[in-house]
Amino acid sequence: MKATRIVMSILLLASFAQAQKEHALPKDLPPYGPVAPLKAPEVKSLQLDNGLTVWLVARGGFPKVAIMLAIRGGLAADPKERPGLAELLAKSVTQGTKTRNARQIAEQFQAAGGDLSARATQDSIFVSTSVLADKFNTVLPVLADVVTEASFPDTEVAIAKNNVANSLRSREAEPGFLAGRALAKVLFGDHPYSVIAPTQTSIEQTTPDELRREFARRFQPKQAVLVVVGSFDAAQAESALRDAFQTWRAQGSASVGETSKPTINLARAVYLVPRTGSVQTTLRVGAPGPFRQAADYEASEIATAIYGGMFGSRLVLNIREDKGYTYSPFAALRTYREAGFFATQADVRNAVTGATLNEINYELNRMATIRPSDTEMTQAKRYIVGNEAIGLQSGGGLAGELAGLWVDGLPPDEIARESEEIGKSTAADVTAAARKYLPASHTAVIAVGEQKVVQEELEPFGLEIKPVP
Amino acid sequence: MTRRLVALILAIPVVCVAQQWHPPTEVKKLANGLVVVVSEDHSAPTIGICVTYGIGFRLEPVGRTGFAHLFEHMMFEGTPVSPKGVFDQVTESGGGFINGDTRYDYTEYIESASSAALDPLLWLEADRMKTLDFSAKNLENQRNVVEEEVRVNVMNQPYGLFYAIDLPGKAYDTYPNAHNFYGDFKDLDAANIQDVQSFYEQYYAPNNAVLAVVGDVKTDEVFEKAQKYFGAIPQRKVPPKPPLTEKPQTSERRATQQDKLATLPALGIGYRMPPKTPHDSVIAAVTGELLHNGEASRLYQSLVKEKQVATEVQGGVNWPLGTFLEYSGPTLMTSFIIYPANLKGNDVIAAYDSAVDSLAKTGPKPEELERVRSKMRSDWYDQLEIPVSRASALAHAALLDGDPMRVYSVPDELNEVTPEDVRAFAAKYLVKTNRTIIDRVPAAQPATPDSNGGKQ
Repeated sequence: MKATRIVMSILLLASFAQAQKEHALPKDLPPYGPVAPLKAPEVKSLQLDNGLTVWLVARGGFPKVAIMLAIRGGLAADPKERPGLAELLAKSVTQGTKTRNARQIAEQFQAAGGDLSARATQDSIFVSTSVLADKFNTVLPVLADVVTEASFPDTEVAIAKNNVANSLRSREAEPGFLAGRALAKVLFGDHPYSVIAPTQTSIEQTTPDELRREFARRFQPKQAVLVVVGSFDAAQAESALRDAFQTWRAQGSASVGETSKPTINLARAVYLVPRTGSVQTTLRVGAPGPFRQAADYEASEIATAIYGGMFGSRLVLNIREDKGYTYSPFAALRTYREAGFFATQADVRNAVTGATLNEINYELNRMATIRPSDTEMTQAKRYIVGNEAIGLQSGGGLAGELAGLWVDGLPPDEIARESEEIGKSTAADVTAAARKYLPASHTAVIAVGEQKVVQEELEPFGLEIKPVP
Repeated sequence: MTRRLVALILAIPVVCVAQQWHPPTEVKKLANGLVVVVSEDHSAPTIGICVTYGIGFRLEPVGRTGFAHLFEHMMFEGTPVSPKGVFDQVTESGGGFINGDTRYDYTEYIESASSAALDPLLWLEADRMKTLDFSAKNLENQRNVVEEEVRVNVMNQPYGLFYAIDLPGKAYDTYPNAHNFYGDFKDLDAANIQDVQSFYEQYYAPNNAVLAVVGDVKTDEVFEKAQKYFGAIPQRKVPPKPPLTEKPQTSERRATQQDKLATLPALGIGYRMPPKTPHDSVIAAVTGELLHNGEASRLYQSLVKEKQVATEVQGGVNWPLGTFLEYSGPTLMTSFIIYPANLKGNDVIAAYDSAVDSLAKTGPKPEELERVRSKMRSDWYDQLEIPVSRASALAHAALLDGDPMRVYSVPDELNEVTPEDVRAFAAKYLVKTNRTIIDRVPAAQPATPDSNGGKQ
């Protein structure tokens, strides 16, 4: 058992006085108040004899329990000839066991106030629900049945294949999906992280037996964490969890291996995804970034926030609040277990496609060359740490954050450690990270839109304009 | 002057009579008419603030479609003493985020932040309740931003929110309920700074607003601060609410639309709901959820699983622009259904009708109703768990239902709904003459490899 304290960096408040001077805040604006000590959620960590890791957080509040089971082995673990199979696996794993059909499972969760859903990410499959506290015990045996005995009935697999095939067609009509798929391909090339969705061919060729085989390879107690957060008695919950999950045994000997670290050799170019009828160009500007364990991860987070992650960031103030080119500019540092990357997004009316890319490049280079002000540093640090705390307000949010840490090979303490590192980062650290990762010359550009518009608007940048490989 | 806040108990802490546990919550009304709701919750050192004004799309002026939302953007463009950008900076430097939402009957402004930011955030909310920096330059900037918002969410997306914009447009006959709330560009382009000023003066008064504060605060202190920062804002005369009623619908309405961007066809089906009463609104909600919410719902089981005539089903009462309580005028129960390309809309409608008719004929089984209630209660608690969402729910209930505490009585109200209530409701309101259907099909295009679509 391990108690984890999640502590916020709260000492940053002192520097607000300086911020007020710099930005001439209203003279009567009252100062921030004293910071209340944070009640740290205590994570009770245990491991069952079969190797299943269990993280429990008992807390008060509304009578709810959020449950999230994460297993190692997501889209990046799919067989090379079946790209995106994990999506089908997630869609069909909840659709029947040896003793329960899909409808019974759905109704049993509904009776407890939940929906059982599963989704695949690059590194894992998350199976989750959120139920009424007084019905918590009733769903544990059903959840255990699903993750240990899913049977992939032929009829259900056929329906799932059909729906995933149609869902893929639907998504391909959305510019955001097309841009995200292109960016992954451009960044990660032939590495498994380049796949964010299945193909029609891989869906068509997947058989129920393949899904059963992949289920056995991935859904094993040693490759799983069960996170439970909510209003319950910890001792009773622990005993109920043991009863439900201790008989879980791995089927067969195959398991999920490590994903290799991608080597990113980004070919600087504009990658054009033609989309007839587009009234906007959907721009995504991507670059390799640090993964979560890198020493400059936190400084990179701050750099991203100041450049384009906050509403008060340089990019948003420029292309939205000054120039009105876009509603939705945003930059994020995203990480997988073995990789990280930056992505800037802006959907802009066709006529300002080139003008917007010019400003994005300008802000990227400004971030890489001009040290952030004290006000920017304070705002970004408090924004990152504060919004982390906000993300943990709900049981589902905390369960998701903890499960994600486990998938990345990190302990619950990481939340506190990261906050502390954010607090310690200096403007020099941030500039160093920005200089390493953010110069426009390190980026590739994805443009989804009318072919003629993109070609004319982006021609002056002198980059090759070509299709996604 | 009080409007739509008639049932409030003034300056008396509300005593909990419900069976279900809920966090301590108190309500007071300031002398200028501002209703203040506080829900103390020390589970995290964070706060959620919501200021909701009783003005939404419905009452925006004729010739100014989309204006209530464009105006919402102007609330972030600064005041004479707090220039554009200050509110964002103070919120983000206070460990939080800020946003706004415009809906049919209200416009809300929300902040989620560290509890240390309580004072400056309340001060800034009060500041923009006094006056704004009515800047033509900023209006021009936000007009551009809003038009990009319409492009990114409507014009450049498959389906273009037709089930939320075009469906009410076809289902209703009067301007308040039928017009395009996101705005025609000619109307957005015509909006001027005098419009901003007069809209503000008419509707953005303390007596037309609710302030809700949830989280790591002391209740009495929040009431004191509310008095200190908001108490001196003078109340103003708010225009009386015009009638929003529609002539009864007497026959089914149908339309077909071509979609240049979608790859699969879709249906939008909207049934007019009865006027909102405490009793009917909960029965309507249960009926909507029983049909639409989750994998165990009737429509998912019937259309997606058994008959396989749909790939996605979503919907409910007042969906997708709020919960089943967040309206105070005509609203629809809407279904949005994506279906395979090898089927015709009428094939899907036939399957849909058989699911709805069977509910109207025999009603839900008691155990089915019990499951749906559990799911609704569970979802309801999820909404209330997050401080800023609870602040929103409390503020909206205060404004629209006259009592913020309604949010806590919903779980008990659900228990009073009987299978016969649901059957009778479906039989009365889920009938063809009371509905509108839009069949949205991919526009004919040059053949592509996927154009055969549908089931494999």
